[in-house]
Amino acid sequence: MVLSKFEHVKITGISTVVPPKEINIYDEAQYYDNNIKKIDRMRKMVGFWKRRVVDEDVTASDLSIQAAETLIKDMKIDKETIDCLIYVVQRPDYSAPATAFYIHNKLNLSNSCAAMDIHHGCPGWIYGLWTASQMIEAKACKRILLLVGDTPSAGMDLSNRISAPVFGDGGVATLVEYNEDKVISHYNLETQSKDFEAIINPASGARLHFKRDNDEFNAKLLKPIKTPSGYETKLSYGYMDGLAVFDFTINQVPESIKKLMEYADITPEKTEKLLLHQANKQIVQAVAAACGYPEEKAPYDAFENFGNNTMCSIPTTINYLYANNINKDAQFICSAFGNGLAVGTASLKLSKDIYLSGVQNYVKSKDHPTAEELIKYWTHKLEGKQ
Amino acid sequence: MKKEEFLIQLEDILQREEPCQEKDILEDYVEWDSLSKMSIMAYYKKNFSVEITLNDLDSVENVSDLIKLAGDKIND
Repeated sequence: MVLSKFEHVKITGISTVVPPKEINIYDEAQYYDNNIKKIDRMRKMVGFWKRRVVDEDVTASDLSIQAAETLIKDMKIDKETIDCLIYVVQRPDYSAPATAFYIHNKLNLSNSCAAMDIHHGCPGWIYGLWTASQMIEAKACKRILLLVGDTPSAGMDLSNRISAPVFGDGGVATLVEYNEDKVISHYNLETQSKDFEAIINPASGARLHFKRDNDEFNAKLLKPIKTPSGYETKLSYGYMDGLAVFDFTINQVPESIKKLMEYADITPEKTEKLLLHQANKQIVQAVAAACGYPEEKAPYDAFENFGNNTMCSIPTTINYLYANNINKDAQFICSAFGNGLAVGTASLKLSKDIYLSGVQNYVKSKDHPTAEELIKYWTHKLEGKQ
Repeated sequence: MKKEEFLIQLEDILQREEPCQEKDILEDYVEWDSLSKMSIMAYYKKNFSVEITLNDLDSVENVSDLIKLAGDKIND
């Protein structure tokens, strides 16, 4: 059991960026036999409503970089004082090098700032905070820029009604700093890897991948597969055993949260809000009830308005509900869960002087390259022409 | 909880417009989908502190079987 306590780590700023393109489930009536009652049922039961999705040529790092630029500018951070950049991602820009190096360059950070990726899913923000907290508590770093970003909508077939209406995209920057006065935080991290196949992209890495000069083999990875739910998928797409994940979430996750609450000596009464990963409304309500929280203390607004933007969902909730509106030092319990299967829970105090950006729209720069332009660029480079 | 009360609750859990009867076969309900199964699991956990699994739900035939999964939490 990983139960950790930190005494001098403070979250001083959080900024959230989402793509401007919004999909409303009521505009997707063709997938529900044009039956509005069916959509109303989904809305009421699981909270499907609006979600934000990226254009094809925008990656998670693009969203995270804008979040970082906003935070650095608004908080007037001297970039020379950032000791480490941590980027939590599961859809990296490149398999090599780590996307953190691309971001480090784009943000023009100092050569003396360390950079690394952490590969994680929905609990990624909690795991990133936990990692950063250890580095700060050990006095290896004083100021860490933690970025998380994900674009689960990328490559998603809209006819996949299990996953497509759930997920949204986002990028978040969090500034984690050493604080001389005590700021107490607690963490509990747990892993149930026997279910690692419950959320997986089967053909997406070294285990199973496209082969050079073997179109026959590659065709197998691209072959449509009919699922029991009726939609078509492919080995190269994501797979989720929704019911198995649900089972883990409503039975294991509350136990993990309760362990943390006992360790941190926090009760629902002492908590401003229980901020749960925005998996869906049904899951948020079931987990909150199992942990003894009343419905009004466990918001699911971010899910309804932006979709489940995986590791960004808790900081998106904070920015949606509290942008520059934390009146006093507030005690939160945050818990995120997802592929692995993994769950990370933290008790965090956010103080009234924290910088919160609100939820901002991504703005694509005029010189943002398209896939075709990237092919041209890299072809020229490999040909030695530039 | 009384059976009659649960049957009314069940209509809401499944978001069904017709009344539910004990003898009803769940597979006959158009609403008996994965969403409904998740709602049932969540409802039992929340209201009865009873953990039911997918296997439990897959072996259920009618509403009466579903009631039995709640043990003594639903009674006459």
